[in-house]
Amino acid sequence: MDLVAGKVFPAERRPIRHIDPALLLAMLALIVSGLFMVYSATHQSLSAVALDPGTYLKRQATFAALGVVIVMLMASFDYRFLRIYAGMIYGASILLLLLVRTPLGTAVKGSQRWFEVFGFQLTPSELTKIALIIMLATYLAELRRSTAELSLQHVYAATAIAALPALLVFLQPDLGTSIVLVAILVGILVVAGARGRHLGILALTALVLIFGALQLGLVREYQIARITGFLDPQNDPQRTGWNRQQAEIAIGSGGLTGTGYLEGSQTNLDFVPEQHTDFIFTVVGEEFGFVGAVGMLLAFAVLLWRAFRIALLSKDPFGTYVAAGVAAMFAIQIFVNVGMTIGIMPITGITLPFVSYGGSSLLTNAIAVGLLQNIHMRRFT
Amino acid sequence: MTDLRAGSRVKVLAGLVAIMFAALTTRLWFLQVLAAEEYQREAVNNAVRLVDVPARRGRILDTHGNVLVDSRASLVITMNREEAGDHKEEILFRLSQLLDVPAAELGARLDDTRYYAFSAIPIAIDVPRPVVLYMKEHAREFPGVDVVELPVRTYPEHLLAAHVLGYLGQISKAKLQDPAFAAYEPGDEVGVSGIEAVDESELVGTDGVIKYRVNSAGRNLGEIGQLDPVPGEDVELTLDLRIQRLAEDSLENGMLAARSVFDSYTGSNLRANAGAVVVIDPETGAIEAMASSPTFQPGLFTRPMSNHEYDRRFNTANTGYPLINRTIQSQYAPGSTYKPFIALSALSRRPEDGAPNQTIVSTSRYYGCPPSWTVPFNEDDPEAIQYVFDNWTTANLGFMNLARALSQSCDTIFYPMGYEYWRLYYPPPSLDGIEGNDDEAPKEPLQKDLRAIGFGEVTNVDLPFEKGGRVPDAVWKAGIHEEFPKLFPEGRWVPGDFVLMTIGQGDTLVTPLQLAAAYAALENDGHACVPHLLDRVLEPDGTVVRSTKPSCRHRWPFSQQSIRYVREALVDTVRTGTASGAFAGFPFGRVWVAGKTGTAQVDNRQDNSWFAAMTEANGERHVVVVLVEQGGHGSTTAAPIARNIIEGIYGLQQTQAVGAEATD
Repeated sequence: MDLVAGKVFPAERRPIRHIDPALLLAMLALIVSGLFMVYSATHQSLSAVALDPGTYLKRQATFAALGVVIVMLMASFDYRFLRIYAGMIYGASILLLLLVRTPLGTAVKGSQRWFEVFGFQLTPSELTKIALIIMLATYLAELRRSTAELSLQHVYAATAIAALPALLVFLQPDLGTSIVLVAILVGILVVAGARGRHLGILALTALVLIFGALQLGLVREYQIARITGFLDPQNDPQRTGWNRQQAEIAIGSGGLTGTGYLEGSQTNLDFVPEQHTDFIFTVVGEEFGFVGAVGMLLAFAVLLWRAFRIALLSKDPFGTYVAAGVAAMFAIQIFVNVGMTIGIMPITGITLPFVSYGGSSLLTNAIAVGLLQNIHMRRFT
Repeated sequence: MTDLRAGSRVKVLAGLVAIMFAALTTRLWFLQVLAAEEYQREAVNNAVRLVDVPARRGRILDTHGNVLVDSRASLVITMNREEAGDHKEEILFRLSQLLDVPAAELGARLDDTRYYAFSAIPIAIDVPRPVVLYMKEHAREFPGVDVVELPVRTYPEHLLAAHVLGYLGQISKAKLQDPAFAAYEPGDEVGVSGIEAVDESELVGTDGVIKYRVNSAGRNLGEIGQLDPVPGEDVELTLDLRIQRLAEDSLENGMLAARSVFDSYTGSNLRANAGAVVVIDPETGAIEAMASSPTFQPGLFTRPMSNHEYDRRFNTANTGYPLINRTIQSQYAPGSTYKPFIALSALSRRPEDGAPNQTIVSTSRYYGCPPSWTVPFNEDDPEAIQYVFDNWTTANLGFMNLARALSQSCDTIFYPMGYEYWRLYYPPPSLDGIEGNDDEAPKEPLQKDLRAIGFGEVTNVDLPFEKGGRVPDAVWKAGIHEEFPKLFPEGRWVPGDFVLMTIGQGDTLVTPLQLAAAYAALENDGHACVPHLLDRVLEPDGTVVRSTKPSCRHRWPFSQQSIRYVREALVDTVRTGTASGAFAGFPFGRVWVAGKTGTAQVDNRQDNSWFAAMTEANGERHVVVVLVEQGGHGSTTAAPIARNIIEGIYGLQQTQAVGAEATD
């Protein structure tokens, strides 16, 4: 494969003509509805303290515009270049994860998660997701060249690649992102042809390790409390059940068609905690009801459908694995995030792609979609 | 697409994702379609807070509509012991600086045992607005501290009629258990004494509720509905502000005057430490004035008070226990004021062995009034000591009829009457062991008559904690001896018990109100009315809800002749009898007055001074009873006070209460 820049394509093969419009539309639809939801979730509490009710909206809109630029940027070069820089990208992301734990990082609510840069919060664990996708895809695509089958050793090697950042993120502590990293690993391994038996062994090893972590006290109490609170709402010392209950009330009270935009009492009255970030889906559920919630899920379904389709269409295994990794990343985030607002998943700090307020998350997701577009555009070259 | 197998694996992954989406959609369907109603209800509850709006408590008015008790709003600082927790000391220190009250005093108020640990305890009332603003701005420094606007009682007439009006306090645990107080919550104020307690159900209104929309932080986002409070009803009393003030002033002045009177028995001035006045309308039983001294400031109970302060003000010997309403809660020997009722009984009781029309005492006979009387020799009990009983004076007053015996208060004419009750009716059939003769003779007829008059049991006035006095009898005496052998060494009923009863001494006890009710019935031809204070219950706009109908159904078992005879006999008391000195110069042509003095001996104390008066003029009738503890002779202290009150009531020129000649 020749990776010469400035290659001249026949007109019908120019990548720009093969952009995936469905993917683009799904993303834009999610971003725009996200802007509406963020405004609805924040305007009341902002005006209550005499601030511009559009503060969050404006910040998010800025990131949204930046996100579109990033999609274009990420689609502009041949994604296969990334294989060369995969190691570097991966290394840089590990370095950032280590740095965030130094005094350079900012600690909030007992966890060290981001850098404060020009008043913006840069969350390195978000970028870690992309770095891991590229690293795993590169490694497994290299393997594919030499061997037809993945051995258990290869599976372990891939796991080790994912385990390092997952562990660092977990220790921040950020349980949500480490779950996403594990999901990326599993997603790519499945598509790369890991045998079911190997995945089973992997799962078993993971269980042993998790048990060991619990025994050694590596898991923070609040993380255990969230999970026990989820499994047994009666015994809920951290009141995490209260969050979930408020979220369920908000969504449930939306009914079939919802209370109407900006009319949700639970949303307006601030009953749902962290509503513009982790619990943004409750706004959709309350104000637009079942119809709105399923509508949003449909937009996500389109996004994922295009991601899987791109994985199938990709000319090379690297593209397939990247697309599969991105799909796994989106899928787990959607499932866990929406799931926790409706009481079928424990509460972890996972954002809803494109909808939740937050620059790092939005830009990371834009990068991911840019990569998908990149692969789609170059499926013939 | 390089690998066909990879394609199928991508589909496996996609299938997994499809299952996830199916799970999400199913759950959403359940929440938003099947269970939506339940969640919508919860959402409404979530966002609404109910705030109680205290109802205005009814006013207490006098019979002419003058306001005696009203309510106003006051900013009150409350503190919750539990919420304050470990920071109690610091918070109290900051509050003490803000309020300029010693922290120890605030702490003592907080330790009030009348409150529950979890309830907000008022520790300061009438807090200035700037202090409230400061506290709101620095709420974090005052955990557990709250500022609320609470209605507080006001007393436009200050101390006037404090004992009648009563005061409010936190509802007790015992009352909270009472189904009658089901609507009350811990921390609620409730009337604990006086009219405030008795007419609680009229005075208390129904609290209203305001519904607020709130956010999760509890911030008020506006009112969405309200249930207006229903104000309490006004209570109009039979008390007459003018007469009440007159009674209180006259009592205080009279007691003050008494303290400059020398008492030869104790070798010191009269202490006149306490007193009571009752003015009552004999035709209805309406109480027009009810004074008890020493008194207290009911307004003190509107503000927080430490236990220490409570004891210092109300609960130590040198305070004179001012919270006691001496008109109904203190029991005294009535002394000679009892004699008219002994006479009524003696005039109606016919000894079996006597002539058909002969009674124990007769209006047509004359009796000697020697300085002393000796118990006659008893053939059945020759060993018995023949005790000697003295008259109040060492002079021999000569022969006189019963009327004069009353107006001169001759003890030695009454003693033999008591002995006659002993001789004729004793032992009573219930005690002599002979069965089947219970109907042959009345059991202890003197006691029976005294109880019929109303002694020995509560009058059922509409005030709490009333005492019933005591009409002693053989069963009571045996019982109390068994219970307290040291205090009551004699368990047998002896002639002396009857003898002393005739002059209102011995074990006889009455309350001033009982005596007033008895004299009221005497003036009202034997129609005894239940004394009462509640006249009408009014809506806040003045509409009458209900009015008290006088209850005068009880009739004395005495002939009208006897009643009239005794009543007329008492006219001479103030003209020529024991109170003639105290009533010297009184315009009897304008106001008809009849009365009786009483000087009751109490072990180890100075005599209690009594005067009971019946009056009438211009179709108006009032009975006035005055008692002064350790006030010496009835004629010296109580009679001048009564005269002063009577003059005031009828608009006569008032004479100063000066110590009159010491008669009975």
